[in-house]
Amino acid sequence: MVTHEEILKIARLAKLSVAPEELDSLTKDMNSIIEFADAVNSVAAEDSDFDNSNSLSNVFREDKVVPSYDREEILKNAPNQEDGYFLVRRRM
Amino acid sequence: MEPYGIIPKIGKLLRSKEISCTELTKQYLHSAETENKRLNAYVKLTPEAALKTAAEVDRKLAAGEELSPLAGIPMTLKDNISTNGIETTCCSKILRGYTPIYDATVWDILKRQDAVLIGKANMDEFAMGSSCETSCFGGARNPHNTERVAGGSSGGVASAVAGNLAAFGLGSDTGGSIRQPASFCGIVGLKPTYGAVSRYGLIAYASSFDQIGPITRSVEDAALVYDAIAKYDPMDSTSSEKAQPAFSSLGKDIKGMKIGVPKEYFDGVREDVKAALQNALKVYESLGAEIVDFSMPSIQYSLPVYYILACAEASSNLGRYDGIRYGARTEHYADRDEMICKTRSEGFGAEVKRRILLGTYVLSAGYYDAFYKKAQNLRGTLIRAFEDAFAHCDVIAVPTVPMTAFPLNFTAQDAVETYLTDICTVPVNIAGLPGISVPCGFGGDSMPVGLQLIGARFSEPALLNAAFQYEQAARRDVFRAVETGVVL
Repeated sequence: MVTHEEILKIARLAKLSVAPEELDSLTKDMNSIIEFADAVNSVAAEDSDFDNSNSLSNVFREDKVVPSYDREEILKNAPNQEDGYFLVRRRM
Repeated sequence: MEPYGIIPKIGKLLRSKEISCTELTKQYLHSAETENKRLNAYVKLTPEAALKTAAEVDRKLAAGEELSPLAGIPMTLKDNISTNGIETTCCSKILRGYTPIYDATVWDILKRQDAVLIGKANMDEFAMGSSCETSCFGGARNPHNTERVAGGSSGGVASAVAGNLAAFGLGSDTGGSIRQPASFCGIVGLKPTYGAVSRYGLIAYASSFDQIGPITRSVEDAALVYDAIAKYDPMDSTSSEKAQPAFSSLGKDIKGMKIGVPKEYFDGVREDVKAALQNALKVYESLGAEIVDFSMPSIQYSLPVYYILACAEASSNLGRYDGIRYGARTEHYADRDEMICKTRSEGFGAEVKRRILLGTYVLSAGYYDAFYKKAQNLRGTLIRAFEDAFAHCDVIAVPTVPMTAFPLNFTAQDAVETYLTDICTVPVNIAGLPGISVPCGFGGDSMPVGLQLIGARFSEPALLNAAFQYEQAARRDVFRAVETGVVL
């Protein structure tokens, strides 16, 4: 069983806030989801080459300079920007 | 028998000048606008871009220039496929107002072919859902019965194509998100082999599962679109050069083809769905294919494997939404940490949060080995089980979904209950295989049922041909056109 404290810890790691009134129902939801996921522990499995499940080989490219995107264009999507930079409030 | 493709049909109408591309585009835009009130298939119409492309096609026609196979064809893109200058939201509040400054490779390809974008299609938020109802714009409806969902997550594309508001569309499939809505809406959906189609510009959900593919009216259309988009792309490091064109293989004799039927896929499948599948297998037998019954016990744990791994990848991929570089930012906050937390908590819907939390949990210290590593090892077991299966059969035939389209508000119920409905589609993504859903009849509720065919990696030519032969033999009994939108 996952406790309220564990849910809050996971939420902190994921940078999500959980309102006090949500905590009960979210813990209940997460418990049933984790219980469902825990089914993987009812079967045995051999170690596999799990980093390469899609049978791919590494792709290298030459370290060549190619045109990239325009800074002003990229910044247009930022909620706040100044002098070519993303703007956030000063960290106290 | 004539193939059932609508793309070649439209191509002929344009080339014979029976209708101009501008006139055709206007018809689709008009239908999309009126029918969307009922279907909610589109989250944004793009008349300006559509009419501009249509005018270019008309100019080429007048000048006698050669047209590309998809030139002038009205189509749609799921709203997680980046479109330069056109808002792309993943149907999430957190991305509202985000306008990409580049095109996804698939859209770049279609643009160069002068395909006509009618609009961006509705989807479950960040492609997380099986009903399209986690969309921040509300769910898309099923054209066969608007009291039913269109399916998910590419529900908007399926609704638009089945409702004749687009001739084809591109969706994305992480755990069934192309095949399931295609099945629910009675049309064709192809999830290509992992690596066959570039993911560049597809907003990521679970990168080792995600794959873009066509949702179409017929197998012939699916092959045409697949051939256009299955191209090696240096911008996607998982893109492959192994994909082979499929269209030229359509029509080949399938006498002696071995069709594997794993019995575990039929556990818990509704009886009327099972009956439709049995009829489809009989059609194959009449075409000279051989049905091979076998057992694949490992698919029983594919659901938890999928949800553990996909959510782990999602928790990492969705870490980028911090309100700093793009998308929405919360209005009131004291410091940067609170800004990020509040932005994410206000911007993500409940299902996305649950999946981020599950992903964070299975990757966190103390749980990594029991969940993430275990699931990765089981992923290996499943891949081997499919390899063994393809050693004794050419394709595998199973249901796409164990039931027909859900009634509206299905996802409001228990999350796990909804996950269980993905049982027949997730194994394909776990193993990186191609899978296609084709209509194979109707349930007791007269809603469409889908037959899913699965092939070995990069076997799209044979897989699509197997689907095509079935469609040619059975179409009249298993497909029902919807009389809305543009009827050609």
